[in-house]
Amino acid sequence: MRIDTKGRFSFPGGTHPPEKKDLTREMEIQRGPAVTEVAVMLCQHIGAVCQPLVRKSEAVQAGQKIGDCDAFVSAPVHSPITGKVIEVALRSHAVLGRSLAIVVEAFPYSPTKWPSFKLKDDFDENNYSAGKICEAVRQAGIVGMGGAGFPTRVKIEPNPRLPKEILIINGCECEPYITCDYRIMLEWTDKIIAGIRLARRASGCSRVFIAIEDNKPEAIEVMNAALKTCADGEDIKVVPVRTKYPQGGERQLIKAILKKDVPTGGIPPMIGVVVLNVATVAAITEAVISDLPLAHRVVTVTGEAIARPGNYHVPIGMSVEDLIEFCGGVAKKSAKVIMGGPMMGIAVADLKTPITKTTNAITVLTKEQIGRAKFARRQTPCIRCGRCLGVCPENLNPTKIAHAVKNNLLDVAESYYISACMECGCCSYVCPANIELTGYIKTGKIFLARQKKKIPV
Amino acid sequence: MLKDIRVSCSPHISERLSTCSVMIDVIIGLVPAMAAAGYYFHIRALVLIATCVIFSVATEWLCNAIRKKPNSLDDFSAVVTGIILALSLPPNLPVWAAVIGSVFSVAIGKMVFGGLGANIFNPAMVGRTFLTASFGVLMTSWTVPATVDAGMPKIAPENVVNARTQATPLAWSKRAIKSELGAKEYNEEHFKATFTGEVGGCLGETSVIALLIGGLYLLIRRTINFHIPLAVLLSAFVFAAVFYLVDSSAYVQPFFHLSSGALLLCAFFIATDPVTAPLTRRGMWIFGVGTGTLTMLIRIVGEYPEGVMFAVLLMNAVTPLIDRFCKRIPRGGKPSTK
Repeated sequence: MRIDTKGRFSFPGGTHPPEKKDLTREMEIQRGPAVTEVAVMLCQHIGAVCQPLVRKSEAVQAGQKIGDCDAFVSAPVHSPITGKVIEVALRSHAVLGRSLAIVVEAFPYSPTKWPSFKLKDDFDENNYSAGKICEAVRQAGIVGMGGAGFPTRVKIEPNPRLPKEILIINGCECEPYITCDYRIMLEWTDKIIAGIRLARRASGCSRVFIAIEDNKPEAIEVMNAALKTCADGEDIKVVPVRTKYPQGGERQLIKAILKKDVPTGGIPPMIGVVVLNVATVAAITEAVISDLPLAHRVVTVTGEAIARPGNYHVPIGMSVEDLIEFCGGVAKKSAKVIMGGPMMGIAVADLKTPITKTTNAITVLTKEQIGRAKFARRQTPCIRCGRCLGVCPENLNPTKIAHAVKNNLLDVAESYYISACMECGCCSYVCPANIELTGYIKTGKIFLARQKKKIPV
Repeated sequence: MLKDIRVSCSPHISERLSTCSVMIDVIIGLVPAMAAAGYYFHIRALVLIATCVIFSVATEWLCNAIRKKPNSLDDFSAVVTGIILALSLPPNLPVWAAVIGSVFSVAIGKMVFGGLGANIFNPAMVGRTFLTASFGVLMTSWTVPATVDAGMPKIAPENVVNARTQATPLAWSKRAIKSELGAKEYNEEHFKATFTGEVGGCLGETSVIALLIGGLYLLIRRTINFHIPLAVLLSAFVFAAVFYLVDSSAYVQPFFHLSSGALLLCAFFIATDPVTAPLTRRGMWIFGVGTGTLTMLIRIVGEYPEGVMFAVLLMNAVTPLIDRFCKRIPRGGKPSTK
């Protein structure tokens, strides 16, 4: 039977940035460099910051838990390498500015070990109880690997107040350039399927959808083929969704597949839905079956300026600089190093910034490409063309919010629902007047947060 | 290895769009109408368009110089204002009046508010209204296109002194209402003439085909949304149809209203001026319906034969209110905690 890979499901709004996935879509997942030093951030997730469990000059094993926290919404961190803690110090963090990290130096005589994992043929998720799966996910420090980094255990654990029915596996990867989820779907298919079954068992969901954008027909076919061979493959459905940015946002994905709206300021479990990234479910499999912690992840190193773009399995905590060097450095004149994709990623100022659990890509853009971005061109007055309103997936009024923030009218910004913005960047992307709407909105949110905490702006 | 790196807010890429490209799109959309004007009114059209554009641009430059602001001519908005103003002027308007109109348009209509994006009223319509109020006679004497044979009986009988002047189709319809002569005076031939443009009227409004081509171009390029044009035309049509159905002997058929006067120019190029139109979809519908209805109200009930400029200006004035009442609600509903 010919598998239909045409995506019919979509959401209102959104835009179509150039995909640029060809740079790395044929690159198999390779092992990253052997690292001599990692800086494991104590805050790589949403929720409480971890406390260090190790002291300076203490020896740590690969996979040892080095930071944890008692709070419910939190996830421990682990050392990816065997070595010695040389310091617990501040390091540049992509989002938080500077944050505490445990810096581990590898012992010179211990080669970097890569987690080896093979799914056994006799795998049956019913051998694992829901409680055990949740505990393993928690102990492995698994967080949402698509971007936000919400602790996965909190998501999948059954909650009597918010019963879950539908599990959506997010393989959209709507950001331009990034291909790590795509390669994971092609190469780690069995791990994903096993992880889906584990997550389904833990969360008690009855229906499972795997959402993949229709610009990845191979992934759709591979997943469908894998589902045919497994026992209960009929309950899991692959849903091709339309290629559109930000299709991979969980609110947009739920809207596209289930035609339901997640309440503003709410979370998907409020309507009985759990959304997990494909990389996250692969990590669940490793954690539950082999007790492997989340200490490595697949990162796409891409961009026109990179000499050898590709998808690499690297230890979490290695610096951006090491990884770029491993990829042959930059070939052309680079101008911007972004952790993440070009739409939502964060430009780093310090190349020593360590990779975290949520870093799905390192994109290095050339001057020519950022010449097209907003800050490189003169900002002209808003002509109220309404393009930002048309593309806003959350149905907001970006220009009104941005101009309210610009004029320091935070109450007006709030009355236009600034907090409902998810900062996808569509409005800035289409603005003909080169106004950095997303930037203003982000600034406004920070000001509002400060105002609520009574910190002078 | 990496020294010269930049940091900025996401997104780091952007669409190749600028205010300038949007304005150039509008100018391209106006080309068919300008060509039609040039075809029917020959040198008069070219002189008026050139005058309006030159003086609009010069006024904007001067205002920026006086206010010590950076030059904003590169966004081409002054050119658009000049062209639209020129297209809404009668062909035999003296050049000095066109100069006054374009200077007023840009200086009072736009620059006193703070330039592009800050103006409340459509600058071209401000200029045209000023001219209508100041030089009423000049603004309402119409030349028939040079392609029309002056000896044809269609030329209005009261203009025998100057056979080159005639009432516009709308003025005729007005006269029909007044004198209760009935709709017979304007026949099918008249109606057809409005499509090609062989009728009296303002420079750019006579040829329906040229305006439709330009409007279609803007719609395809997504420079304008379909909401406002559709709302204007639909509401005008419905309004005219109601009157036509009530008394078809006194009122012309609705299609006639759509094809004559500045209604199409308004629907595609004037009302859709993004700066003075509402932002939200719902607001656009209200704005369009308001413009169309007010135009027809002025045309049919009011004293003027043409009501587009007043309708647009009136709706411009309520645009901020419309925007305020048509606030967008986030997709997930209003946040519960507030």
